[in-house]
Amino acid sequence: MTLAADKNTDIVVPDGHVKLTIDGAEVVAPKGELLIRTAERLGTVIPRFCDHPLLEPAGACRQCLVEVEMGGRPMPKPQASCTLTVADGMVVKTQLTSPVADKAQAGVMELLLINHPLDCPICDKGGECPLQNQALKHGRTDSRFTETKRTFPKPIAVSSQVLLDRERCVLCQRCTRFSEQIAGDPFIELLERGSQQQIGTAQDQPFQSYFSGNTIQICPVGALTSAAYRFRSRPFDLVSTPSVCEHCAGGCATRTDWRRGKITRRLAAEDPQVNEEWICDKGRFAFTYTTEPDRLLRPRVRDAKTGELRDASWTEALRVAAEGLTKAKEAGGVGVLPGGRLTVEDAYAYSKFARVALGTNDIDYRNRPSSAEELAFLGSTVSGTNPEHGVTYGDIEKAPAVLLIALEPEEEAPGVFLRLRKGNRKHGNRVFHMGQWTTPAVVKTNGTLIPCLPGEEADMLGRLPSEVDELLRRPDAVILLGERAAEITGLFSTARELAAQTGAKLAWIPRRAGELAAIEAGALPTMLPGGRPVTDSVARAEVELAWGLETGTLPTAEGRDLAGILGAVANGRLAGLVIGSVDVHDLPNPELAERALDSGVFVVSLDLRESSVTRRADVVLPVAAISEKAGTYINWEGRRRPFPVVITGTNRLPDCRVLDTLAVEMDADLFTQTPAAAMADLGRLGHHTGNRIPAPSVDAGRPNRPGQRHAVLATWHQLIDHGSMQDGEPHLAGTARPAVARLSVDTAKAFGVADAALITVGTDRGSVTLLAEFADLPEGVVWLPSNSTPATVRTSLGAGHGALVTVTTAANGAAS
Amino acid sequence: MTEMLNDVFGQDTRTKAQQLIARYPQSRSALLPMLHLVQSVEGFVSQDGIRFCAEQLELTTAEVSAVATFYTMYKRKPCGEHLVSVCTNTLCAALGGDAIYARLKEELGSDGKPLGHEQTSEDGKVTLEHAECLAACDLGPVLQVNYEYFDNQDPDTASDLVAKLRAGERPAPTRGAPLTDFKQAELQLAGFFEGRDLDVAGPSAAKETLRGNTVAQDRGWSAPVMPDGVLPPVPEKKK
Ligand code: SF4
Ligand code: SF4
Ligand code: FES
Ligand code: FES
Repeated sequence: MTLAADKNTDIVVPDGHVKLTIDGAEVVAPKGELLIRTAERLGTVIPRFCDHPLLEPAGACRQCLVEVEMGGRPMPKPQASCTLTVADGMVVKTQLTSPVADKAQAGVMELLLINHPLDCPICDKGGECPLQNQALKHGRTDSRFTETKRTFPKPIAVSSQVLLDRERCVLCQRCTRFSEQIAGDPFIELLERGSQQQIGTAQDQPFQSYFSGNTIQICPVGALTSAAYRFRSRPFDLVSTPSVCEHCAGGCATRTDWRRGKITRRLAAEDPQVNEEWICDKGRFAFTYTTEPDRLLRPRVRDAKTGELRDASWTEALRVAAEGLTKAKEAGGVGVLPGGRLTVEDAYAYSKFARVALGTNDIDYRNRPSSAEELAFLGSTVSGTNPEHGVTYGDIEKAPAVLLIALEPEEEAPGVFLRLRKGNRKHGNRVFHMGQWTTPAVVKTNGTLIPCLPGEEADMLGRLPSEVDELLRRPDAVILLGERAAEITGLFSTARELAAQTGAKLAWIPRRAGELAAIEAGALPTMLPGGRPVTDSVARAEVELAWGLETGTLPTAEGRDLAGILGAVANGRLAGLVIGSVDVHDLPNPELAERALDSGVFVVSLDLRESSVTRRADVVLPVAAISEKAGTYINWEGRRRPFPVVITGTNRLPDCRVLDTLAVEMDADLFTQTPAAAMADLGRLGHHTGNRIPAPSVDAGRPNRPGQRHAVLATWHQLIDHGSMQDGEPHLAGTARPAVARLSVDTAKAFGVADAALITVGTDRGSVTLLAEFADLPEGVVWLPSNSTPATVRTSLGAGHGALVTVTTAANGAAS
Repeated sequence: MTEMLNDVFGQDTRTKAQQLIARYPQSRSALLPMLHLVQSVEGFVSQDGIRFCAEQLELTTAEVSAVATFYTMYKRKPCGEHLVSVCTNTLCAALGGDAIYARLKEELGSDGKPLGHEQTSEDGKVTLEHAECLAACDLGPVLQVNYEYFDNQDPDTASDLVAKLRAGERPAPTRGAPLTDFKQAELQLAGFFEGRDLDVAGPSAAKETLRGNTVAQDRGWSAPVMPDGVLPPVPEKKK
């Protein structure tokens, strides 16, 4: 933008730009820019309600009227500046210089307020309300309306978490446009007409969208409110702290509002490179888990006499833990399972603790199904990922084609899903989903399903439709792998080959927020921080130097992975375990894990809340929740997402601090007293430039084939399910997608369950019973949500993606 | 759910729905006629009807509800055999439309309670509504039965007409097609004439309406010639 100091100067108008005058100032603007934006760049704020930079223009509210003159002729009426694009020679007068525009705006405002209840004193939006603010700035001081206002019963729940006070609505349609354009869930609409016009849902279908909370945030009035936050506080009483979402590997920027030590709400923060202005409902509403009654507040140790856990002081707990671990170390060794939700700082502390205090490489953060092939992939391909060289959200949006393999974006990476949808809508990119059925995400990304058996994905990559293969060869094409890739033999290897052959960029999008950080920190049996192979003497020497260790102190052999550690514990080769936030039910083999924990092994557990692990631990050390500590996540792009402490003064300790102190008790120094110290210590290691772990080379596995007696299981997590980090938020839980078992009509017939409402999917371990729904799955395949029922796929079936299962009519009528 | 809808809307209706979709480059354009189609089956737009349209057009039920609740021709309660619309817009109202409406309300009501807007007489024969301008101001006051015109009415003629309708008669409208019933009319609005194509063959314009035209013809007046307009190309059919 160029601003003429003096009207006579000749302004150079670059190609593709036009010159116009706003309030007497000459402005150069790119062709196609909306007038309201050009004015904004000039510092002139034209009042508005419906206008939103990320939504398509609507011209619905008429608040943004300005006077416009084209070719010397004034347009007959004031024009909506949010729908009018700039043109050469346009002369615009906003409310600043035009009494006509000013009066028009005041008039629109007066009309908008006619039926508005003006209940600001009890309205959630009061204090941060564009209507309130703009009415004061651009409205009349009084209303000429003396008649009775139209009223509606209030509020109506458009979903369990979004409440609508219709009389406050100014019909700007931001909410409906967001739902339709951004989320692809047009379940709220403008209903009725005239003075009865109102937002609403269909009678039989609530506003079910994983992104519904965004409508609350962008509603320019208090018409849409959150059931969880309604009447809890006034915005001006809250402290707002920037934060980062802990729920998936997306790394969305959020803002946490809190007061008196309690979080009242979470909002989307703006980050154009990552989440733009949107977050999913899990990121917005799932924060109450940290204040559940089972939150651990004090250390506990197992009483020698009673055998029960009892509260203990930090001093005692740390001493008992240190003694126990030292003993266990001598008695065979200690394994470390940090879990996949840590910050880099905390993960680094576990990594260093294992090596320095326990002298072992027996550490694996992967508290989920995993494989040796994956481990090689993480070392060779994922470690060191960064937005400069890897795939970014922006790349996904602009890619000509994106192939998703074993990744259900809306359920497992909602931010990625929104970018895929945007890419398709704005740039027409092609999205291919290799999966088992036409999920909502396939439809909403206007995508194409490449169907295959669960487990057959790797093999399928060798037989891609020629159209896909060709599109992947276009510059900037992208291949994305999901968490369950680890359950598919040969997928990492074949995906790498495909990327190399086609030139497409390859990225891995895990489900948990801490995965990339844990890889970076070396919380894996084969890798030291920065992806340095533990077997590489140069790499070890680098780390030994930085950590001030004598040469040759670091263990030289690769450690045990998760299954190895649990197995070694179960058969007595390992005598101790240090476990971070790990839920036994997430593990590929919960039974083995429980047996291991019950085998008399010495367990130190660092956790937020009571769990199946803390209950079996010998020492429980409580740690700080995300809002009580500072730290850094690394999202799937490899982008660092640092965040400060939100709630100050809780005295809760982050994992890195607890481990640092524990290490001191064991005569080792981690230098991770604070997250900042841990980060600095990690920084001293610098980038790894030496050898990397070799890439995996595993042939595509032969998938289980369905037969007469067995079907093949496809499974993944739904975004909103029984995950413990969604505890304590019933309004959010109410918007979960219903848990159903999916299979094709033919499969149902083949297994004789075509007429059954409830079907039972079983293994020799147990069963899951659910309502059946028909979908376009391959023959002989049945799909289950991994963790949406009390009986879960991992715990009750002991099975995973690609396993053989039985399908029968439910014995009794009850879903489990 | 689909099975349930199959009971309400049979194969015939589904075929018609597909024919409607085939008429437009974009399937959702078929929503307006499809809502009429639904009314021709049930006499109103029920929740089943909304679901039916949503399924046929791959829309959400909210999107269909938005349209169905916007237009007053889509009824949300079951209608009687006939729909009587009395124009009470300014001109007709002043000429006696208000009086007609008041009289019919009384006569169609029961238990001493006048019939309300869009309510149906107890015998299920007649649904009454007051309507905005019916585009026949030169013949006011007018009313319509199933959207066919009865011109130059007064309370007595209207009362007589409604009595006949309730007795099962189908008096001939002033002009246009012979009277059928509401559901049949809705089917025609959806674009299906079922062998009654002559109904719409016309002419249905009234003498009064054409008076200016007749005068012009008599005197040899004509409008200036318009340049030959080139019609825009028909857009390609999308999914
Ligand atoms: S509910 Fe809010 S966002 Fe939706 S139309 Fe009304 S004012 Fe706009
Ligand atoms: S998309 Fe992921 S990071 Fe973003 S708000 Fe949702 S769970 Fe959090
Ligand atoms: S902001 Fe321009 S019409 Fe609403
Ligand atoms: S006012 Fe009644 S037809 Fe126009």
